[in-house]
Amino acid sequence: MNTTLVLQSLISGIMMGSVYALLGVGFSLTWGVMKVINIAHATFGLLGAYLAYTLLKYWGLDPILSLSVTVPALFICACFAYRVLISPIMRSKDVVVSSMILTFGMAIILENLMLLIWSPDPRLMTTSYTSKVLVIGPLYFQYPKLAGFLMSAAGILIIYLFLKKTYTGKAVRAAWQQPDAAQLYGVNLGRISMITFGLAVSSAGAGGIAMAFLYSFEPHTHNLWLIYLFLVVIVGGVGNVLGTAAGGLIIGVITGLSMAFLPYQWVNLLTFGLLMIILIIKPQGLFKGEV
Amino acid sequence: MVVSLGVLTVLALFPWFHPPIYFVSLLFVVFMYVALASSWNIIGGFAGYLSFGHVAFFGIGAYATGLMMKGFHLSPAATILSSIPAGITAAVIAVIIGYPCLRLRGPYFAVITFCFAFVVDLGIKNLDIVGGPEGLWLKSMNLPIGITRSILFEVMMAIMVFAVAFAVWTSRAKFGAGLRAIKEDEEVAGTICINAPRLKIKAFAVSAFFPGMAGGIYAYYLTYIHPDIVFDVNISILIVLMALFGGGGTWLGPVLGAVILTLVNEGLSTFVRAELARIIYGCLFIVIITFMPNGIMEFFRRREKPEKT
Repeated sequence: MNTTLVLQSLISGIMMGSVYALLGVGFSLTWGVMKVINIAHATFGLLGAYLAYTLLKYWGLDPILSLSVTVPALFICACFAYRVLISPIMRSKDVVVSSMILTFGMAIILENLMLLIWSPDPRLMTTSYTSKVLVIGPLYFQYPKLAGFLMSAAGILIIYLFLKKTYTGKAVRAAWQQPDAAQLYGVNLGRISMITFGLAVSSAGAGGIAMAFLYSFEPHTHNLWLIYLFLVVIVGGVGNVLGTAAGGLIIGVITGLSMAFLPYQWVNLLTFGLLMIILIIKPQGLFKGEV
Repeated sequence: MVVSLGVLTVLALFPWFHPPIYFVSLLFVVFMYVALASSWNIIGGFAGYLSFGHVAFFGIGAYATGLMMKGFHLSPAATILSSIPAGITAAVIAVIIGYPCLRLRGPYFAVITFCFAFVVDLGIKNLDIVGGPEGLWLKSMNLPIGITRSILFEVMMAIMVFAVAFAVWTSRAKFGAGLRAIKEDEEVAGTICINAPRLKIKAFAVSAFFPGMAGGIYAYYLTYIHPDIVFDVNISILIVLMALFGGGGTWLGPVLGAVILTLVNEGLSTFVRAELARIIYGCLFIVIITFMPNGIMEFFRRREKPEKT
């Protein structure tokens, strides 16, 4: 057992996990607050990655700087999508099922739009610091991965502070805990749902960009991200931001370590098997539910 | 009743008119999806437990038939009959996996069944005895392709008829009433002596039996199976969508849903560029779920009965 190998895969796992965490937080929020399972969450994330890629390739805009463009753009897209597509089904008998089907349709549309615009070739974001590595002792920290990690950590922190400290954030939490009581206190559920959705999707976009720092992507990649999203959210507990963040880290670490020690084909099997076992033993998640 | 018999007879005689093979194959696929959606509906639409990994049973049936054919060197007729044990295998696995999984509700059941399909898929990819990542070849019948396809066409039609017949029976029998009660409120159903756990397992097992059979026949139809083909995630999702689109909880819903969606998908893919076809397909889902959230059947039923004040 090589300690360097273990430490290195631990670090790579944490970095991967933080990105899953950022992606997962938005997914968890929509599910918890709006009871909407947004199958297109990962697809929106992918869209963010493609936007950042395009801005980088044709305008030379660094992905971290272009966040100031991509995040608001996705937020506006999300609000629009909410108004037009999602709010009608919020009134249906079984929002969970209807939302799954609706967002699945959205995911198909987005995926094929991406296929048309960007073609199925895998893309990689290469910035000026792609090949630079920070070396501390025997451990290697690749700059892009560090960037992804820092972005995710910052994103999760921002969302957490928003939910805990701002008035709107508290309204979101109220809507999650007790929608009826929240309305009695003057919380406009429709507007809060829209803001939650916008927040979730733009964080998905940021997560997608962070993921793009680590791996290459093509229009079908969102399917793989979605599986990990389910895993992270169920481990962390639906609606629970910090729980989801922790869940992301745990999943990332487990995946990272298993990638170092298990043959490639078994890693995914481990992930899904793990999800099944967790669902059977503790479906509410490993953490107490509280945003 | 007479109408359906008439339609079925016409369909059964279809290959005799020597149509282009494309249409025989197309109807084969339509029958297959009707059977899949109808049997899924037993656990999904009637009982309300949405299984998002139902393709697992389809694939298990496919591999069961493939392995039996290779292992026992079965003749064509025997291979077709081996789809029955294949279906039973799928049902048995459904019972085994049902015990832990059916304890979960709603979206959690959906996710765990989704995972189950992937676990089986990856499991088979890693087992070289069953062909692993190279797939499994079956020996085709030594007949012209038109005749082979026609034979399998008739067999699949038979499977479809049995699956739909079972769905019709379920909607009228105590079994179906029990499942509906479970969907409405499982705890209350328990208080009126409905043994929910047992009913759920039974429903899950039957809903796996027909896909298992269909998988076996599909394997023979393709003569080559590979985990990516028979454990394709899209099949799982399509089955759910077809059943819900047509209207879960009725026997006719999944039939309509499967026929319409398969034909629309085929038509779009033929005349329109692939990605554009899928975009239109996605838009269709959105339109349907927005305006007909409980499926087509509910929509038309509501139109028929004027509101009583």
